[in-house]
Amino acid sequence: MPKRNSSRIKNKELHDSILVKKNSISEFIIEKLLFIAAVSSVVIIFFIIFFLLREGFRAFELLGIFNFVFGPEWVPVGTPERFGAFPLIVGTLLVTVGAMIFSIPLGIAGAIFISEIAPFKLKSILKPTFELLAGIPSVVYGFFGLVILTDWLRVTFNQPSGDSWLAGSIILGIMALPTIISVSEDAIASVPKEFKEASYGIGATKWQTISKVVVPAAISGITASIILGMGRAIGETMAVLMVTGNAPIIPSPITNVFSPIRTITGTLGIEMAETPVGSIHYSSLFGLAVILFAMVLIINIVAGRAMTKIKEIHHPSSRKKRFSFKISESQNRVIKYAILIAFLLGLAFEMYIWFNLTYSIAMLGMIILTYIILKKLSANYTQKIAFTIITLSAALIIFILAIILFDITSKGLPTLSWSFLTQYPSDIGRAGGIFPAIVGTLYLVAGAIAFALPLGVLGSIYLTEYAKEGKTTKIIRAAVDNLNGTPSIVFGLFGFAFLVLYLNIGISLIAGQLTLGFMILPTIIRTTEEALRSVPRSLREGSLAIGATKWRTIQKIVLPPALPGIITGTVLSIGRAVGETAPILFTAAVFSKRSITPSLFEPVMALPYHLYVLTTNVPGSREASYGTALVLLIMVIILYAIATLVRLKYWKTARMGSGSL
Amino acid sequence: MKKKKYALECKNLNLWYGENQALYDISMKVIKNKVTALIGPSGCGKSTLIRCFNRMNDTIDECKVDAELIFNNENIYSSNADVVKIRRKIGMVFQKPNPFPKSIYENIAYGPRTHGERKKEKLDKIVKKSLEAAALWDEVKDRLQKSAMGLSGGQQQRLCIARALAVEPDMILMDEPCSALDPIATTKIEDLIDELKKDYTVVIVTHNMQQAARISDYTGFMYLGKLIEFGETRKIFENPDEELTEKYIMGRFG
Repeated sequence: MPKRNSSRIKNKELHDSILVKKNSISEFIIEKLLFIAAVSSVVIIFFIIFFLLREGFRAFELLGIFNFVFGPEWVPVGTPERFGAFPLIVGTLLVTVGAMIFSIPLGIAGAIFISEIAPFKLKSILKPTFELLAGIPSVVYGFFGLVILTDWLRVTFNQPSGDSWLAGSIILGIMALPTIISVSEDAIASVPKEFKEASYGIGATKWQTISKVVVPAAISGITASIILGMGRAIGETMAVLMVTGNAPIIPSPITNVFSPIRTITGTLGIEMAETPVGSIHYSSLFGLAVILFAMVLIINIVAGRAMTKIKEIHHPSSRKKRFSFKISESQNRVIKYAILIAFLLGLAFEMYIWFNLTYSIAMLGMIILTYIILKKLSANYTQKIAFTIITLSAALIIFILAIILFDITSKGLPTLSWSFLTQYPSDIGRAGGIFPAIVGTLYLVAGAIAFALPLGVLGSIYLTEYAKEGKTTKIIRAAVDNLNGTPSIVFGLFGFAFLVLYLNIGISLIAGQLTLGFMILPTIIRTTEEALRSVPRSLREGSLAIGATKWRTIQKIVLPPALPGIITGTVLSIGRAVGETAPILFTAAVFSKRSITPSLFEPVMALPYHLYVLTTNVPGSREASYGTALVLLIMVIILYAIATLVRLKYWKTARMGSGSL
Repeated sequence: MKKKKYALECKNLNLWYGENQALYDISMKVIKNKVTALIGPSGCGKSTLIRCFNRMNDTIDECKVDAELIFNNENIYSSNADVVKIRRKIGMVFQKPNPFPKSIYENIAYGPRTHGERKKEKLDKIVKKSLEAAALWDEVKDRLQKSAMGLSGGQQQRLCIARALAVEPDMILMDEPCSALDPIATTKIEDLIDELKKDYTVVIVTHNMQQAARISDYTGFMYLGKLIEFGETRKIFENPDEELTEKYIMGRFG
């Protein structure tokens, strides 16, 4: 260990001496404050886990862990009441697997299309378009699913009801698409250009390069995208709840995709509000949340590991010792075949829906046959076929988005009027307007941002500028990652147990604002951190070298160029907060309220909740629902458009900055 | 009181990156108003050493330094030394030009503002004086409000020198300031360094031996984290004491 020598020399000119620190006290206080902001994520995740366990403990204790998890029946209001989570867990898994079968092939094809096939102009349009899929609020997906999809399934397949596993999987599959596309696309784009050039250099076709070089090199990122998409699907509440029929049964036979089904999240969403606090039912709902949290935790840990692998492969850190984390040839082959089989199963599944079993087996056989023939065909021919399939997949994604947007716009537009926006609802929402819901949503979002933005930005300044990489930063980052993966309904339960009951704030605006704030905090931290890290180190050194303090360097040199990135992240967070229903379901939202004067301690109306109640509980309110859905959609699209524009402009300036050297 | 001849005295400097020691027992004296060059093959630690002189290495997490560096009779590595003041008095110019993404004027004015200068006319004067001292004034005087990113690489580097001068340091450290520049821009910077030594003490790291021979008064040769030889440039280049130095100067390795 080096030891520090103290100065032996007496200072004559105190004023000019370098040994008299001037700014150290304020710098010290600033650092401590930033540290507190950074640690808040750890505190929040700790509180979430603590309160879930605290409230759910009794269920595990009274029923026994095994009986609770594997109990075959969920009958919360029967005599005797039975709390077996098994059918709900199976339901959650089945819906998720179905969604993955649908979204993995489409998502990967979409990612390949954007990053490798689409011309630059098309790409710059497609990327934000696909991202918009992530921006559509889940309650709007649920609404669309309930009104259009389930009806279509019922008629097309001649079923008694369209509310089913299949409907849930399709909707969830669409919702998981943007995650899969964007993470896969990042992974594909980060494959070094040299790899591709080397492949072209030996005369490989574009498709050979993509399938043999690019995709294998990006495989761990693609795997991560799939796992993250799964996490999103498992944690989704509103959309699933609205389209799956919610019967807590295991489909029989297990392949019966038209069977109604019920997920953990759906159960929480439906039953939480109507359960007496402190009852065994109440406690077992929290027990369900614990199970859900554990499932998502596992998924996120696995995804996180896959992501570190990509970083280690493409950017091996030079100073630290290198991890030999390369995916081995055999692992690579396993993953490749797993994806291929998932792809084929997906196709078979989709054909099974369209046609029937014999057809689908026949088609599957033909596809495998074609594949074998293709292997013998010339490279150019294979490329043509592969590109056609990929392009069609991308087109299908656009088509899905277009249907949703067109349906809601065309049917919502007639309702949309000045009075619809400015009047109070009447006739339990069927007539009148949605003014108090708009105002309530604005209050909720404003409060959430006022809470999460300063906390998130200050916390990420600590992480990027002050923290030494070590245990503390590892813990904070793990907390942020877990917070990011926590399902929105879990935030809702936590807000209810902690804010509404434990702190005794009651169902109120502020409880909703804080719950939404907890939810968007990780997004703000991550985007801010990314923006700060993109500011070159040399700028910081330039400022420090002329004797600027660390804090002044951050304020004047680091933050300005990072601002567009921070704004983009904030706008996207607003978009998410506007559309979220689950977190405010039990913490803030009511269906009807006369006054719009803001009171922090009273409940509010909110657009997504309004749409949810109208759709599920008010017959004959179709017009008002479409109007509300359209207003929500317009708000989100505007926010996404802002975010995209800021980012585009930022890219240009960023390019100018580095290009002139 | 003895006349202060040395701008900086480095005594027994040892430096570690994590577990790996990168610099071994380095002692040298930087003489006032002279140009001191550090040469050596890449990876020998010359940039790491110069970054100790204004404690720039503090910004690297794993870097540990054990040293006594006497500047103005005070130890830079004393536990109660103020790095901010050190860096104000010992300026630095980096390998790659790193102007801030601001206007030319703001790039220069940032330093004095940081140290509390608010008056517009005073700032104007400082900007003009610094740019003149960096031999850039004539080229940019008509576009002070334009972005510094629009300047050529050589101009950017002179701007960075002007930015360092604007806070009136005693000493200027230059870490391979010409390695990203073309020969004409390099010549300009070299002329500038010759001009600067009238008022400042300059320490420059360079991988270019001819450059060291052209511009420096004293030269240190480093190899594998050790200062092999230090002395007057002429002696180092014409009659070195160490065999290793001679081999390197003759171009037999490195």
